[in-house]
Amino acid sequence: MILDFLLVLDAVALIIATSVLTYFFIKEIFKVKKKDKK
Amino acid sequence: MQISIIDYAIILAYFVILFIIGYFVKRKVHGLNDYFLAGRRLTLPIFVATLVSTWYGGLLGVGELSFSYGFVNWIVSGFFWYLVYLFFAFFLANRIRRTKLYTIPDQLERFYDKKSRFLGAIFNFIMVSPAPYILSLGIIFNFLFGLELWVTILIVSIVMVFYTIRGGFVGVIYTDIIQFILMMIGVAMIIPMAVYTYGGFDFLTNALSNPDLALGYIDTTKHLTLTGTQTTQWILIWGLIAFWTLADPGFYQRCYAAKDDKIPKKGILVSIGFWLLFDICTTFTGIYAVAASQAGLLEVESALTSYLSIAGALLPVGLLGLFLTGLIATVMSTADSFTFLGAMNISHDLYKNIFKKDATEKQVIRVTKIGIVITVGFAIALSLFFESIVDMWYYIGTIGISAMIVPILMGFFYKGKKSPWAGLGSMIAGSLTSLVWVIHGYMNAVDGWPIYIEGIEPLYPGLLMSLLAFVIINVIHVRRTK
Repeated sequence: MILDFLLVLDAVALIIATSVLTYFFIKEIFKVKKKDKK
Repeated sequence: MQISIIDYAIILAYFVILFIIGYFVKRKVHGLNDYFLAGRRLTLPIFVATLVSTWYGGLLGVGELSFSYGFVNWIVSGFFWYLVYLFFAFFLANRIRRTKLYTIPDQLERFYDKKSRFLGAIFNFIMVSPAPYILSLGIIFNFLFGLELWVTILIVSIVMVFYTIRGGFVGVIYTDIIQFILMMIGVAMIIPMAVYTYGGFDFLTNALSNPDLALGYIDTTKHLTLTGTQTTQWILIWGLIAFWTLADPGFYQRCYAAKDDKIPKKGILVSIGFWLLFDICTTFTGIYAVAASQAGLLEVESALTSYLSIAGALLPVGLLGLFLTGLIATVMSTADSFTFLGAMNISHDLYKNIFKKDATEKQVIRVTKIGIVITVGFAIALSLFFESIVDMWYYIGTIGISAMIVPILMGFFYKGKKSPWAGLGSMIAGSLTSLVWVIHGYMNAVDGWPIYIEGIEPLYPGLLMSLLAFVIINVIHVRRTK
């Protein structure tokens, strides 16, 4: 049961970590666009 | 496998996005530094995305390994590599960034001389051949659309050449970000669905350990143990192959392109976290595929396409399209980066630094674009000739590592005086030894399988001779010059 949980947790952690990194990509893209406008 | 129109539409949308990026990315390129290294402006998140996605190209091969051998795949395709990544992060990454060069042959010239650059560029060109990845993409499209292999290889190559030529490394980076997100989400979706549909570890243990259900051609009874049915020598050979990382041009290029000296080390450490989570998902996807086919719940055509089969069985419309796009993105991100690295070998290492030192930036960029076409043309020819991904990896890896590892590591870590001839001799001795070993093995092949002397894999004598040649030539030459 614990192993099942850990296995699913691994997949969920991968999705969360990817989402966090995606947030940083979007933040950076907007930062670059703001700089370009200035 | 049933693929709906929505799934096809998702795959098509991915290619349209790549085309759009290729079209617009040219605006971001303002000179050679942008074209080669994205202006050395890679921040931590972008460094991680491009390194993780580029490094991971052999998803079908990993599927084959985990389907056939079980959890040991995580040891040979994951654990050993993490150790080498850690070594790279702590002892090499920031040193490489500080040199502010462009390629591995640049380093070889810094350590030795132009001759080493020249030979290193040729070995590099072979090592970064995108042939295995172009072939992988051809096989995936062949499986999905039923088109002839050469047609699918040609279509994939045209898309890749388009955005790589227009945007250079910037194009590679932008597409890598999209590909990174797709590959992570795509692979992560399978495990929760498999646990929900088939059951957890109880299902795996029952299906894999029951000899009455055996597939016949695979012994699955030890699939959940650390070493499986494999011998220690087999496992250690894979451990040695992980040293490829230390001479991997993709790792070096991303370290050079980082925004500051601290990013490469931090970036590799964060990437290890992603690889760890990702490798567990891929390993268990293969294990679920073999367990489900053992239990008669899944029909698998071959170990190589086991991921495609399990995805087709588990994922609903839409998510299947996302998974397949993730699979394509995983291979594509490696193929485009390797194509660009091969082109840089031609334009930067050979054209600019050996044949035409006064070449202008425009001329170098033009030769890089020609180099992209040459690299892909060479890869298409190779992939049509070999038609086996594993064979290609094996030979490219064995000969490339035998030639490059010793001179690079000696260059970074040996503090004494280094003879230029030692670098050159080490490359020649290592590559020739492993090449002769491979040829000898094939001349004595049984049923098409090479039989090596004393059963020793060519990588061992290759590396040993490379090290011996370096030490002997260096001692003799340095003494003479004194």
